Amino acid sequence: MSTLVLELSGPLQAWGDESRFVRRDTRMLPTKSGVVGLLAAALGRRRIDPIEDLAGLRFGVRQEQPGELVRDFQTAIDWRTGKAKPLSQRYYVGDAKFLAFIEGDSTLLEGLAGAIKSPVFPLYLGRRACPPGTRLVLGIRDGDIEDAIESEPWRASERYMRTQPRDAMLLYSRDAGPYDVSDEMVRDVPVSFDPRNREYAWRSVVHGWSRVTNPEGVPSDEHDVMQLLGGI
Amino acid sequence: MYLTRMYLNPRRRQTLRMSKDPQVLHAAVESAFPPTENRGRILWRLDESASQTALLIVSRDIPSLEHLQEQAGWETERTWDSREYDPLLTRLHKGQRYRFRLTANPTHIVTGPDGTKRRKAHVSERYQAEWLQERAESIGVKWIDSSTEDESAAPLVTKRETLRFKRGQNHVTLARVTFEGGLEVIDADALRSVLVEGIGRGKAYGCGLMTLAPARSTG
Repeated sequence: MSTLVLELSGPLQAWGDESRFVRRDTRMLPTKSGVVGLLAAALGRRRIDPIEDLAGLRFGVRQEQPGELVRDFQTAIDWRTGKAKPLSQRYYVGDAKFLAFIEGDSTLLEGLAGAIKSPVFPLYLGRRACPPGTRLVLGIRDGDIEDAIESEPWRASERYMRTQPRDAMLLYSRDAGPYDVSDEMVRDVPVSFDPRNREYAWRSVVHGWSRVTNPEGVPSDEHDVMQLLGGI
Repeated sequence: MYLTRMYLNPRRRQTLRMSKDPQVLHAAVESAFPPTENRGRILWRLDESASQTALLIVSRDIPSLEHLQEQAGWETERTWDSREYDPLLTRLHKGQRYRFRLTANPTHIVTGPDGTKRRKAHVSERYQAEWLQERAESIGVKWIDSSTEDESAAPLVTKRETLRFKRGQNHVTLARVTFEGGLEVIDADALRSVLVEGIGRGKAYGCGLMTLAPARSTG
């Protein structure tokens, strides 16, 4: 098994999983549907084309830099009639950085990596107004998704790293394996992107923390109550 | 006496509930001990930092926290540890310096125009800090700043929160304040009893537990 690692970073990202009507929410972590959509766009698939093969790959994300929630309050007037459009609220994750992991067969992943480097359709981070700020493909690693999440170096900005503790914890969230106890159910597995019949299925995810050392970080002022009681 | 520290998984739903509703955590801590007649005062506190959530318990008996691990802990490893507290308590004597952390519920009594007395929480940071400063003598310490040797330094308020939760049919509002700073021991017996019995009100709801750590070395 191999794992394709993508870097998702840009000024704005939007990863909605259950938005309806004029309020367009975002999750604080990238969704599987968003990343599968990005792969499908890179391959040149149209919205009505089948995507089971991509949705069937194991998926995970790691939060390199959490970013903050940005709210955009939109007003618009239809220039043809002069009438106001419904007021709309759109949410984004600003200044965030994530790694996305896709586990699968290495030849398939090489094809995907090549497609992302020269995509058929433009790629974006969840919503079309959110272009990626860097090159997406970091490479293909040997081993499964768990290994890749643990071994990938931390890729936050230096400014952010300096504000974090020496012993930093990065949140990750990945598809549950057969022996995992799931922490959350998320409805973001695309069954069909067809605009007339959009459909999503549930997946169970596991959350966890990956520990990284951060020599530039602030010294942890841990009030360790055990120090006076002997031992560590 | 024993001091227990348990790391909780901050991403689990029950952990979130416990940090917002001390009634839930109170019940969990209480059920970690056998229902004997006299088990003494159980003090606890939730230390939440960016990287971890730790539950601290000071009690006469060793708690068994398997149920809490199941609901709010980490899956694979046992993350709590109980240590004997008495070696530290007996070692306390006048002149020693420590860093401390305390989560408390600072209150005062207000007398109304008709003479009725009501207990109210201090809500502003200034009065909360004064509340602790006034108690130096009864705790048996002198507040100092251990890094600059500044003897007039007041303890710092590092976290303030107002919790609203239900207790049966009633709504409870609780002001919880975390103080940190340095201290010098003046009266070891008084400090010992504060470490074991707690200080202030709201002890069932994670208030009143003071812990000590080594003073930061100067320079």
